[in-house]
Amino acid sequence: MALRGVWQLQKLVVNYCDWGGSSRGIRAFMETHLPAFREKNPHLEVVTELVRGQHPNLKGIYKNHNERVVCVRNLPPEDILLQATRLRNSLGRKVVKLRTRHVTKRPSVQGTWTTELKM
Amino acid sequence: MATRRCLLRLLSRRLVAHGPQPLALASIASRALNTLAQPLAPHCPRVLDSPRLFPSRCHFATRSSGDEEEDEDDHYEKEGSEDEWGEEEALAAKPPSGKTAEEKVAEAAEIGYAVVGPLGDDEKLFKPYEPVFAVVQIGSHQFKVSNGDSIFTEKLKFCDVNDKLILNRVLMLGSQTQTVIGRPSLPDAAVHAVVEEHALDAKVIIFKKKRRKNYRRTKGHRQELTKLRITNIEGIDKSETAAVAA
Repeated sequence: MALRGVWQLQKLVVNYCDWGGSSRGIRAFMETHLPAFREKNPHLEVVTELVRGQHPNLKGIYKNHNERVVCVRNLPPEDILLQATRLRNSLGRKVVKLRTRHVTKRPSVQGTWTTELKM
Repeated sequence: MATRRCLLRLLSRRLVAHGPQPLALASIASRALNTLAQPLAPHCPRVLDSPRLFPSRCHFATRSSGDEEEDEDDHYEKEGSEDEWGEEEALAAKPPSGKTAEEKVAEAAEIGYAVVGPLGDDEKLFKPYEPVFAVVQIGSHQFKVSNGDSIFTEKLKFCDVNDKLILNRVLMLGSQTQTVIGRPSLPDAAVHAVVEEHALDAKVIIFKKKRRKNYRRTKGHRQELTKLRITNIEGIDKSETAAVAA
């Protein structure tokens, strides 16, 4: 997730609850995998917030002011790490079906072919 | 029944300790039960706790000690190898196919015709547009790329975001004055790219129905894609005037 070398994910907010059972995985994630994740991504601001009574989620805030929220209730810590890595790996663009697999601004180098072209 | 079993095991232990005797243990056990029952009763609860008395298989021969050692060794080996895989590649495959070796990683990357170079640092890789194109093959897909283009390919396994790649399967190069056609590929050409993102495509719903047969299935699928940004094309003369008249 880097557009021309610039990382797109600015902030990762980890919301969890200290009482609920659905937050068990994320509490374990915060102890085991989160420090390593923070070290691997020094450009990323990782914030943990305690939200009591709610299911846990990961909120990613991108440079284009897009927010992606992933609910991680009842997930084991490895799966939560995978979701966090996915948020970090993606640009903030909207998830729509791809129009083409090749995006270019200058489609032709030697001139666009026409029926009147003489080689 | 439990005490009888316990006594049988103890007996097998003692017989093994004394020496290999391929005698029918049942007869010995029946004789020994009467003699050993009372003094062993207080020992039984303690001895029952030790797992060595209850191995997974019943064996009354000298192979018993050897089999137990093999089981323990297998457990230790599995633990050690899991740690190795965890350190090497966190996101890659877990099954024991020998992916820990870096040579295998390089080979697998070559199968996808992408060689992972060092990570991009402060260098300015993103040059302005140059009127040069290349036809490059990644896996089974071919693209006609130019400087500054973006390509969406199937997920490339062994590279992270902001990694530099060299796509070495180049089928054709072209500029405003020259065209170089490979048969089937050009050995000296190289296309440099940078990994921009690893993301999931939008969800596609696969819906199957057989009418009048009460059969309906719905499945969601999100394909994992990698977005590459092409930075440089090498192997062709990029000047805009015809320098050499062939």
